[in-house]
Amino acid sequence: MLEAFVFATILFGFFGIILKKNLMMKIIAMDVMSTGVIAYYVLVASRGGFFTPIFSGETVAYADPVPQAVILTAIVIGFSIQALMLVGVMKLSRDNPTLETSEIEKNNTP
Amino acid sequence: MNQITIVWIALPLFLGFSGYLLPKLDRYFVLGMALLSIAYGLQRYVAADTLTLELIDSFGVTLVVDSLSSLFILANAIVTAAVVIYSWQTGKSAFFYTQAIILHGSVNAAFICADFMSLYVALEVIGIAAFLLIAYPRSDRSIWVGLRYLFVSNTAMLFYLIGAVLVYQANHSFAYAGLSQAPMDAIVLIFLGLLTKSGVFVSGMWLPLTHSEAETPVSALLSGVVVKASIFPLARLALMTDDLGLILAVFSIGSAFLGVSYAIFETDSKRMLALSTISQIGFVLAVPAASGFYALTHGLAKAALFLIAGNLPSRNLRELRQTPIALPLWILLVLASLSVAGFPLLAGFGAKTLTLAGMAPWQEAVMNVATVGTAIVFAKFIFLPFSAQPEAKEGKKYTVGFWIAVLILVGGLVAANGIYMDAYTVDSLLKALIKIGIGWLIYFLIVQRFILKLPRGMEQFDQLIGVMSLMLVLLFGMMLT
Repeated sequence: MLEAFVFATILFGFFGIILKKNLMMKIIAMDVMSTGVIAYYVLVASRGGFFTPIFSGETVAYADPVPQAVILTAIVIGFSIQALMLVGVMKLSRDNPTLETSEIEKNNTP
Repeated sequence: MNQITIVWIALPLFLGFSGYLLPKLDRYFVLGMALLSIAYGLQRYVAADTLTLELIDSFGVTLVVDSLSSLFILANAIVTAAVVIYSWQTGKSAFFYTQAIILHGSVNAAFICADFMSLYVALEVIGIAAFLLIAYPRSDRSIWVGLRYLFVSNTAMLFYLIGAVLVYQANHSFAYAGLSQAPMDAIVLIFLGLLTKSGVFVSGMWLPLTHSEAETPVSALLSGVVVKASIFPLARLALMTDDLGLILAVFSIGSAFLGVSYAIFETDSKRMLALSTISQIGFVLAVPAASGFYALTHGLAKAALFLIAGNLPSRNLRELRQTPIALPLWILLVLASLSVAGFPLLAGFGAKTLTLAGMAPWQEAVMNVATVGTAIVFAKFIFLPFSAQPEAKEGKKYTVGFWIAVLILVGGLVAANGIYMDAYTVDSLLKALIKIGIGWLIYFLIVQRFILKLPRGMEQFDQLIGVMSLMLVLLFGMMLT
């Protein structure tokens, strides 16, 4: 059930990238997609249990720390790429205030 | 050797950031790093053993350096060195060199890592560094081209990430070896990410614009080494699991033909080179065991070609046919072109022979046709007019750096001949010459007289993303059959 929602998020993001006309919206759609991917990692981590993997004396069903640690890297990378793209969009918006991809593309392809 | 490997892989990042603090030394840092990589790559190639570095209790995070990766490392190092020497006198800022050295380091990392997570990080760093290099001129067009590249690569990597966690779920390890135990979806998603990033077949249609609109030295880096960073894991995965080889073989044929048929009718020299990269990537992928040698020769030749094409009086091949180019420049251009076309005495011949020898008969027959296509494409460069004393063109001066850089690359092509001397048999020499002859004949009889404008609709941004879903379906279909 949860898995279906996660995949729906990823697909919504993916189709958002294709269907949205505005460059800004495309970037946000990409963020939605990456949120879906991150959620999937968290979901995979919680297959074995939900508890925070910090040892506290008693043994409970811990969540797998590896996917969580790994996705942290991916979050940071995704965030920096997002920031980089937004800077690019800021620069582009000076000459293309509507930020419509088709317009930008028309002006900038030889 | 273990310590040296770790220092060698970490050094570029360290030097890259030091370049900001000591901007006067930045060029020396990159050149020094590239020379170090050449030494390291040669040492690994000569030693011909496999070096494995495994992080203890690390869920499969491993570095593996074998002779396959050593050839890729050599390609990366020589191209980077040539590009730095080329830009030595062009007044690039410390920012450019920092990105170049980080790109160099992360491409090296992609060539030695043997798990999906390290590869993900390496590929994303490559994407960011490549974007910053493409956008270096800060013009609207360069930013758009870079943004488009970053968008496509990041979306592809998101699919790849889903595949990576599926591999982890099946094996509790991110190691490449786990792919064969992983569910089919994992293979499909990881392949989608890597195929898109390396520009194979239709998912590589982002490549022509990106590689042709970037600045000359950046184009050389992108086409020479960056695409190979995602080819290498595909080759390694195919070597580990047998049944993936067939999928790659099909895609490599598609890529070889798509690229070559677009390139034959292209009139812009840089776009033609970029399109031929798509087709050459097909050749690299076709036989994973031979991919190192092919990638090395293609990287050197394509970097040299991009550097030369960027310095020709015009980008339009039709105009170039009217203006003779200087003789020494023409000789270098012809040598690099002949190498890609697989002419004997240059390393491209050995690589082509080795690749064709490793193929199944049906594959070889089809790829031979693509080889003829390559000969047609590069006939366009080879039959450009030249003169010993060209009238001085205003504004176009060739710097010393340019000559040294191109000479290194072309010299590398001659030297790399030694890697596979067994290629020189009467049989393979004849085959290569016949294929090139047919190619040139077709060029003179047909291609030169026709003007055909192929549609570029496939290169629109929305199509590039949309094609990923198509590839996904295609890959699933291939896995199911």
